[in-house]
Amino acid sequence: MSFRIILAVLGGILLGYFFSPEFILSNSDIIIDIGLCLLLFFVGIDIGKNKEVLHRIKEMGFKILLVPLMIILGSIFGSILAGFIIKLPVNESGAVGAGLGWYTLSAMMLTNYSSELSTLAFLTNVVREILGLMIIPFVAKHIGYLESIAPAGATAMDTSLPLISKSTDSKTAIVSFITGMILSTAVPILVPIMISI
Amino acid sequence: MGLRLIMYLVIIFLGGIVGYKRLVHKNIMGKMNLIQSICLLFLLFIMGIKIGGNEDVTSSFFRLGFQAIIISIFSIALSILFIMIIKKFMINDGEKEEGKNEF
Repeated sequence: MSFRIILAVLGGILLGYFFSPEFILSNSDIIIDIGLCLLLFFVGIDIGKNKEVLHRIKEMGFKILLVPLMIILGSIFGSILAGFIIKLPVNESGAVGAGLGWYTLSAMMLTNYSSELSTLAFLTNVVREILGLMIIPFVAKHIGYLESIAPAGATAMDTSLPLISKSTDSKTAIVSFITGMILSTAVPILVPIMISI
Repeated sequence: MGLRLIMYLVIIFLGGIVGYKRLVHKNIMGKMNLIQSICLLFLLFIMGIKIGGNEDVTSSFFRLGFQAIIISIFSIALSILFIMIIKKFMINDGEKEEGKNEF
């Protein structure tokens, strides 16, 4: 899937760069708006399907929710801090960080704000996933199991989960899934909030 | 943006109800995954066209890539740091309850 994603974006970029199709460019805002709504509906279905998550959270105690909360705060503060260095407005760097590693959704949500920021959100969150996959085993071994969920962000429930599960234990894998679930729900809420600050 | 956010939340909530109540039959659910993928890929394609057609973006692609690396490193580092801070508190809690460190 990730290969197809890169292919779709690259194909689009090449088409846009060489041909600038006027019809699509002038209607892209409305196409993306409609598509985004459809996509968010699917996101909702995926979230709703996981009934067990609520039971698991009760089982483990609500303090488990501190894990996604800290990852949200760390990601947003981290990106804002980086934003000061590379001279980006707080709302823009914060919105990119609020993508929490979910590059497709965060980039899509920012497309109609500005193509440049959307590109940055896409690249940042792709890099985050790649770096995450690279350092998760290291973090699990040398820093701690719980910390190894942090680099994954929203991907802690899908693409990064097998690696976290392999690098840690079954309990951490469950925490990872719950965390990824909550972070995935948070992305479509946090990105528009951050950009409008 | 406020109105937009409410609209997003309502849409996610509606989707959540559909998913939670299993309103969609399993067979259709499988097809919906396909629809979801196609929808996503199509949107990314459109997004790509917008990016490629914007000279400001294409001329600063390497700068954006560099910025992306900086932002992602800071995001990851601070997330790990923040988890380290609360972990102490979570483990202390766990030790009292179960007498061992589970993480």
